[in-house]
Amino acid sequence: MKKDDIFLPKILTFLCNWCSYAGADLAGTSRLQYPASILPVRVMCSSRVDPLLILRAFLNGFDGVLVTGCHLGDCHYQEGNYYTRRRFVMLKKVFDSLGLESDRLRLSWVSAAEGQKYAKVATEFTQKIRELGENSSKNKIFL
Amino acid sequence: MNKSAETSEKKGAVLPIKTSIQDSIKDLLKNGIDHCVFDAVMIPLRVPAGDSFSYVLIKNKSLLNDAFPLPPTMSVQGAKAVSSVTRLGNRNMKIAAVMRPCEIRATIELTKLDQTDLENIILISMDCPGTMPILDMVNEPEKTMTLFNDATKSWDDTQMRPVCQICDKSSMVAGDLHIGTLGTDKKSFFIIPNSTKGKDILEKLKLPLTDSIDSWNKKVKENSEKKLKKRQEVHSDLKNKIGDLTNLLDIFSQCINCHNCMRVCPICSCRLCYFDSNKVKHSSEEYLQRAKDKGSIRILPDTTLFHMGRMMHMSLSCVSCGSCEDACPMSIPVAQIFSMVADETQRLFDYVAGRCLEEPLPLRTYKEDELHEVEDVHG
Repeated sequence: MKKDDIFLPKILTFLCNWCSYAGADLAGTSRLQYPASILPVRVMCSSRVDPLLILRAFLNGFDGVLVTGCHLGDCHYQEGNYYTRRRFVMLKKVFDSLGLESDRLRLSWVSAAEGQKYAKVATEFTQKIRELGENSSKNKIFL
Repeated sequence: MNKSAETSEKKGAVLPIKTSIQDSIKDLLKNGIDHCVFDAVMIPLRVPAGDSFSYVLIKNKSLLNDAFPLPPTMSVQGAKAVSSVTRLGNRNMKIAAVMRPCEIRATIELTKLDQTDLENIILISMDCPGTMPILDMVNEPEKTMTLFNDATKSWDDTQMRPVCQICDKSSMVAGDLHIGTLGTDKKSFFIIPNSTKGKDILEKLKLPLTDSIDSWNKKVKENSEKKLKKRQEVHSDLKNKIGDLTNLLDIFSQCINCHNCMRVCPICSCRLCYFDSNKVKHSSEEYLQRAKDKGSIRILPDTTLFHMGRMMHMSLSCVSCGSCEDACPMSIPVAQIFSMVADETQRLFDYVAGRCLEEPLPLRTYKEDELHEVEDVHG
């Protein structure tokens, strides 16, 4: 197979400023390899991510959306990620009840020390999206 | 009002029906004004043209004679009416608001969203046989009135809106007082208090509580079980019918982007909705970029984003009142789809919109140890 034939998904990734962004930074400075499918967006807290932003990314054709934040109990704002989790589970339920692919959405806790984990999450999620194939909303005009 | 109240057996007072149930309710309200239990009544009145109903705040009790405690259609969701009267606070006037159970539940949700002040409001609900489509009343007022009157006697819901036919909470007691008409001998009705406010009122009106409303409890349980079964069937059919993005788009493809469903929704109370904000106003460059990405782009864009976005923002508080479907000029089954999604999202948090004032909104609270299934299992 030629290199061009491999489907490289586009994955929008929200990184919290205090943990996950630093974790992603560590992955970079440690020269860890992970796919170039990730498009990072830094937010001050994972709870800043309105489910609507995730939905908008999904409907505009992103193949996957990854939300990352501090581990539970470690949130810079004490409890932000607990709210993130509640919103995320609600978002997934809305997707499921309408028969949309909620597997394209993922929530992960990555601390500032977990460069390794970040690279692993990025690799595995990319692999998972590859299995799912292209997001069908990419070709839909009447959205 | 507590969570367990939903299932526990109710106690209430038994009152005789003199001429009709609607007149007896009006007598009760007049009695309340006479005894200074409340200063005014918010209740639907038929408009002079005769083809619709509107909430009015009645101070002069003789005007109560023309009121309709239970009108055939719902032109304005009662929660919106309560909110517009009390949003800036209400310290001076005790108001009895007579509404359907779904309107009361929406009022409770709006209170959690700080859009009402219930301190001086007495919420009075009643057993609801359903609501007729709003346009039926406009097209054939007299026929609709007759059909509705028959339906209140027979509890036949075939003429009602589809979302009312699958309503299992049509007798849900969530306000201060509830008027029970199910399971009576047609010569009397029940009045059931559901809060200390409600109990005080019955005491002031010298209406003793009795235990003899078992027939109501039984009938309500029977009715809601039957409706719940139908609700689950309809929802599962709908879920199978949608099933994927293509079918979902097919359903919403008729949408003309009027946003009526949002305007009439009692829960959509944000001062600036995301969908009215500049975030959904794009530059021509953005349109072109999106057209380039996809090959072409529909204008106006973001119809699915609007509907699904609304599901994210309000489905946890959705009371399935059906106002959105009434308002849809394209007859999209909005309320049925929303009620299906709402049931599923609310079940996640063991939450029922409008069940009780003390239950916090699910997204405003959390438990430390919950929902681990959505967290990533990596490393």
